[in-house]
Amino acid sequence: MLPFRISQQGSGEETTIEVSEEDRVQTWPEDARLTVVGHGHGRLEGNQKVTGRARYTYDVRLPGQLYAKVLRSPHPHARIERIDTTAAEQLPGVHAVLSSANAPGITWYENSSLFDTTVRMIGDEVAAVAAESEEIAEDALRLIDVTYTPLPFVVDLESALQPDAPKVWEGGNISQEPKVYDRGDADAGLRDADVVVDETFTTASVLHNSLEPHGCTASWEGEYLTLWNSTQSVFTIRQEVAEALDLPEHRVRVIKEHMGGGFGAKQIAWKQDVLAALLSRQAGRPVQLMLDREAENLVVGNRPSTRQRVRLGAKRDGTLTAISAELVQARGAYLTGGEASNVSGIYQTLYKCPNVHTDETTVYINAGPAVAFRAPGHVEAAFALEGAMDQLARALDIDPVELRRRNYAEIDQTEDKPYSLPEGLRLCYDRLTEAIGWDTYQRPEPTGPKRRGIGFAAHDWAAGSGHPPAYAWIELNGDGTADVVTGTQDIGTGTRTGLAQVAAEELGLPLDRIAFHLGDTATGPYSPVSSGSATQASMGPAIRAAALDVKEQLFRVASTVLEIPADRLSARDGKILVDGDMSRAVPIEDIMGQISPATLHGRGARGPNPSDLAIRTFGGQFIELEVDIETGEVTLHRIVSAHDIGRIVNPTVVDSQVIGGITQGIGFALTEGRVIDHRLGLVLNPDLEEYFVPTIADVPSIDHVHVNVPDVKANTTGAKGVGEPPLIPTAPAIANAIFDAVGIRIRSTPLSRDRILAGLATAAEAASQKPEVPA
Amino acid sequence: MRPFSYTRPSTISEAISLLESGGATIGESNGESDSIGARSDRGNLRGDDRPRLLAGGTDLLPLMKGDIAEPAHLIDIKRLPELDDTILMSPEGITIGALASLAKLEDDPLVCSMHPALAEAASLAATPQLRNMATIGGNLLQRPRCWYFRSDKVNCWLKGGEDCPARDGENQHHAIFSVSPCVAAHPSDLATALLALGASVEIQGPAGKRTLDLDDFFAPPTDERRLENVLEPTEVIVSITIPTASGAAQSAYLKAMDRKVWAFAQVAVGAMLVIQDQRITEARLVLGGVSPIPWRATDAEGLLTGAAPGRELFDQVAQVALQGAVPLSRNGYKVPLAKALITRALMAASTPKDVSA
Repeated sequence: MLPFRISQQGSGEETTIEVSEEDRVQTWPEDARLTVVGHGHGRLEGNQKVTGRARYTYDVRLPGQLYAKVLRSPHPHARIERIDTTAAEQLPGVHAVLSSANAPGITWYENSSLFDTTVRMIGDEVAAVAAESEEIAEDALRLIDVTYTPLPFVVDLESALQPDAPKVWEGGNISQEPKVYDRGDADAGLRDADVVVDETFTTASVLHNSLEPHGCTASWEGEYLTLWNSTQSVFTIRQEVAEALDLPEHRVRVIKEHMGGGFGAKQIAWKQDVLAALLSRQAGRPVQLMLDREAENLVVGNRPSTRQRVRLGAKRDGTLTAISAELVQARGAYLTGGEASNVSGIYQTLYKCPNVHTDETTVYINAGPAVAFRAPGHVEAAFALEGAMDQLARALDIDPVELRRRNYAEIDQTEDKPYSLPEGLRLCYDRLTEAIGWDTYQRPEPTGPKRRGIGFAAHDWAAGSGHPPAYAWIELNGDGTADVVTGTQDIGTGTRTGLAQVAAEELGLPLDRIAFHLGDTATGPYSPVSSGSATQASMGPAIRAAALDVKEQLFRVASTVLEIPADRLSARDGKILVDGDMSRAVPIEDIMGQISPATLHGRGARGPNPSDLAIRTFGGQFIELEVDIETGEVTLHRIVSAHDIGRIVNPTVVDSQVIGGITQGIGFALTEGRVIDHRLGLVLNPDLEEYFVPTIADVPSIDHVHVNVPDVKANTTGAKGVGEPPLIPTAPAIANAIFDAVGIRIRSTPLSRDRILAGLATAAEAASQKPEVPA
Repeated sequence: MRPFSYTRPSTISEAISLLESGGATIGESNGESDSIGARSDRGNLRGDDRPRLLAGGTDLLPLMKGDIAEPAHLIDIKRLPELDDTILMSPEGITIGALASLAKLEDDPLVCSMHPALAEAASLAATPQLRNMATIGGNLLQRPRCWYFRSDKVNCWLKGGEDCPARDGENQHHAIFSVSPCVAAHPSDLATALLALGASVEIQGPAGKRTLDLDDFFAPPTDERRLENVLEPTEVIVSITIPTASGAAQSAYLKAMDRKVWAFAQVAVGAMLVIQDQRITEARLVLGGVSPIPWRATDAEGLLTGAAPGRELFDQVAQVALQGAVPLSRNGYKVPLAKALITRALMAASTPKDVSA
């Protein structure tokens, strides 16, 4: 029986029932001698992937499968007066057509529907066709006759805030009540300051550009629906699709084997998931609906653009007296589910400061909806806060790392809770300054027009702790192998491998005797969405618990077979040891052979996080670069990164997460930004040609300095998440390094060549206009 | 993409006949004048279904997939025996078959040693995968990368519409020298380098062969010919010839991009100098990314010819080369960038190469 506790908490009129399991597992101590966890291992599915055999959602081919395409609005805002799909329906090879004329009235976003008769962005779904080939489906789309009445639109944040701006929704363009946070008195803190930095930053909307776009294949067997879906959460898709189609959840099965990235944008169901199911039902055949790159970049999420006015007040010694931030972000035409960008968070937590004010406004525009994007909110806000901190360090003439040390937060000041590993960020500072030789660091001399600079930025991140509920089952087979069964998903991060290592460690089995199952709601128990850098820390403890459950049963069997008390037994490397003695080891399969074909079945659940501690992830980066003052070209030379992510379960996979995150950060900093023509409401670069993600040539050498201090108060594995953190400090560290190199502060992303050249020209002009000394 | 038929002729004249049979009118203008809004409602039918030649396909296929080009027939010339990818040296110069891939050009010992600007231009174009497919003939003919031109939701002037939306729009990648109603920048790296090397192109059409200097081959789009060159719809590029220079010519090609690789030029510079007895006896200076056609800086060339090479001169030349530039709202950065690259390219082209390397 799985132990669990139900507690009822009365809170006003509402009663919340909190179901929380407890961990029965002893936390691995900081100095635990682990044989599988903590050791690098290539991905279990690596061979499948590099040989092209791993099956992604797009690779699904079912007998009789049809292919669907979506007709999308060419207008940023319009009313659909009439839609005629007759000709499309009559095209040979077309098997199903859906539009507002015949689709069920399914509510979508807040007050919209699957096929709304008002479109609010270019790309909004107008009709969908399933046909025998993608080409026929595309031809059919051209035969759909739609009459639109264009409506006024607004596609940029600043215009949307104007009182006479066209309204995206009737209620106006402010999409939510502004989020206001106050701690102490920031105005008073600014008055008390010896130095005030007052800077306004803007960040561009950036696009996830997962290599694999969103999409799914839907297939019905009677009243049972199966969806192969490129998703970060098979269970969320199941729940949301079931709800949209008014189906009980057990009639919906969601499968995801392998995935080419999600980065936050695939944690909710999107319209195509329901469209594929409806088209499939209408056609009586399986339907695949994958988005093309343009649709991917128009309608299924982006990191919102922001404007951030930051004021920092400090005493001469660097002590912060106030942090005040007025923040605006553009959410697009619709509010979506999943995590939203919380641009306020980092201002409230990263530094110790008694007086903090944040005010965050979110605005509708007639463009694609924002959705979580790898450390949503923190990436945008770190660019501003850490740029302002660098400015403050220079104004005070204090070393930038030292300034941060002087304002070190030991507790989560928003909840007044200590951090589970309060020294985490300090350890990052220590390792980073040591790795780069900061105490004696000499900036290389200029060569010709090339100026060298180094920049630093720190970060915290509100996630990485993992959380319940999450479950795992383990079947120990008669031959001493194990099937680990979960309902989690590997979104391309190496989840399979990291979690299999936890199972192997606890079971005392070599990794190659573990089969790790995930990504199927029909075969695995509930697991949460893979977001918030949570999967390792959510699932790891559940898997440990299941493994312990099975191991205890194994020891009982072994105790009977070997006639030795169970408490003298342990397991390692596929063997059962008596009193830890390898020379008296009995292979696990020999024990299991005694009871085969019976198997041992273990179950585990993730216990709650400690209620009196705040679990966070932290880190920082040094970035060295070079600016060519004649051409404005920025060349990155070296990035040194350190993160408090608790115990590193698999250094190989963790390093690749750090490299991937930093690479995305380089794009956010230097080259990426959605460009919209404000007159047309048209995204001009919804592709991979004019939307510049970094290439290998843009990425310098990256040193990930392993902090690797287990966070033993966080969970029983001591591991936290690494998916999101590495990207957070990259852009501000680059901007700070550019300032270090050439003395110009660029307050807008991307830090493109035109902005750098403009900054250099302005600086040169200012220098030339300095009043001449009278003779 | 629209349905199309596919033919692989066995001779150039057969290919030309196919072009003739399918192509009715000459020139790109087809008289359509729908407004932007009306077109996008209709699904952006371009209406030009004349046959097109297919070689590497690296530009044509994306145009077709993007519903920008809608040929009803493709004529595959990739394996035409009369066309080839050979690079041959003759007393007149180096002749390059129209089917030579960019990958071949960047590695060819003859090209690398005699015309480094061309090898550099090839190596800085696109990606290795694209360079393996793309041919020099097609590269000279590729259409602009302007994001309005490439959008199926915009009927810009170049596609037969009324206006150029880039002129007052998002024009960060666009021209700073205005010579056409269109302000798209010419995308070809090779064109800039080849024009700097004084290359000519051999063309075959229904009436036989003709040879054009690249100076005459590229021409700003006009109302009657909304195209960046004067190739007729029934003509085929057969080869490109780089003439032997009058003396020891040196060349260089530099390119600034939005990222380190795999982007079209923000600004590119192709420079060729012949220096004899410390004097420049022949100079060609061409800018890419600044105009709808590769931009020959003729005044600047005049300043170079007869002068002694040196940084001061080159800085002055750079000023002169950019004198007529009229940046649009978002591309003013191209002026200082072009100046910097001009000086550097000229420095590179006037520095004796290390023969041992």
